[in-house]
Amino acid sequence: MRDWEGVVRGKLAGMELEADERGEVIEELAAHFDETCSELCRQGMTEEAAAEVALSQVKDWRELRRRIQSAKTKEDDMSNRVKQLWLPSLVTLVLSMGLLALIQIFGPKPWLFGWNGSSRWPFVAPALMVYVPWLLSLPLIGAMGAYLSNRAGGSRRAVLSSVVFPVLPYLAFFVLALPVVAILNDHIAHNIMSRALFVGLFAWVLAPGAALLAGGWPAQLFLSRRLHSKRVVSN
Amino acid sequence: MIGAGIKRGTAELAVLSILEDGPLHGYEMARRIEEQTKGALRFTLAALYPMLYRMEQRGWIRGAWEVSPSGRRKRCYRLTPTGKKKLLPLRQEWSELFQALRMLKKVSHA
Repeated sequence: MRDWEGVVRGKLAGMELEADERGEVIEELAAHFDETCSELCRQGMTEEAAAEVALSQVKDWRELRRRIQSAKTKEDDMSNRVKQLWLPSLVTLVLSMGLLALIQIFGPKPWLFGWNGSSRWPFVAPALMVYVPWLLSLPLIGAMGAYLSNRAGGSRRAVLSSVVFPVLPYLAFFVLALPVVAILNDHIAHNIMSRALFVGLFAWVLAPGAALLAGGWPAQLFLSRRLHSKRVVSN
Repeated sequence: MIGAGIKRGTAELAVLSILEDGPLHGYEMARRIEEQTKGALRFTLAALYPMLYRMEQRGWIRGAWEVSPSGRRKRCYRLTPTGKKKLLPLRQEWSELFQALRMLKKVSHA
């Protein structure tokens, strides 16, 4: 017979509840698994298959831990969302934009790339400006966002949203606002619009987004693996 | 796709209704709801317990440990007076909602 309490304890490791309360939750969930398994075995399933079916009731243990914790501590979804998504997002946004402003004022000149350049006019609009020091600092900021969201128990989606949050306003601008402005405003140079859109998307969304993810994604993987190894240890 | 609010509302009504008949532990509650609704409402462990804990925090139900004949401890939930009071208007609300939906031609043919 499987040690369901041990399994549940391992899976819910790190649940921030009082020891008694945590023990009760573990015992209750273990009893549920045990009964599900016994019932399935009575129906003719092997113990191994029954255990697998029983465990499939929980797709995301991390999410279950968060929901139990939230229900038990009367913490509403709103405050969880603030800690897991909005606060880390704000940190990554403020840090990345603040750093960009500082680099624009005090830092080295950006790298410029243009099209149809000639000796007299080396860069024809739209020009691509790349702030290299800023791009190099973004992985660190992304990793910080991932850490803050992960520490608050954020889901993978919340963690990754916090990581790429600084580029989302730009994405919204390039995907929604710019085409709308181009349609409504006659003064915009329509002959370079589509190229400007792609250049802007690359410079302000794709490149910084990739840089943020280059730090945030490994941080997320590392932190989840650490959580997993904690569970194994507590097993 | 049924929205989260509707799902939560129906799930809470189902739990309160099933507990009206007497105290039950989580597994039995899920089993009876599934049986009585002919499989239309099915609770997984992940959906059931956070909801039970939330309802307990609100004071609608109360859990207490009991020892089953097999000697295993089980946490049985029963309706509190607050839960009983909550059940009636909740039923009324859902009944009104379904009546309203039935009045819509498109829904009744769906």
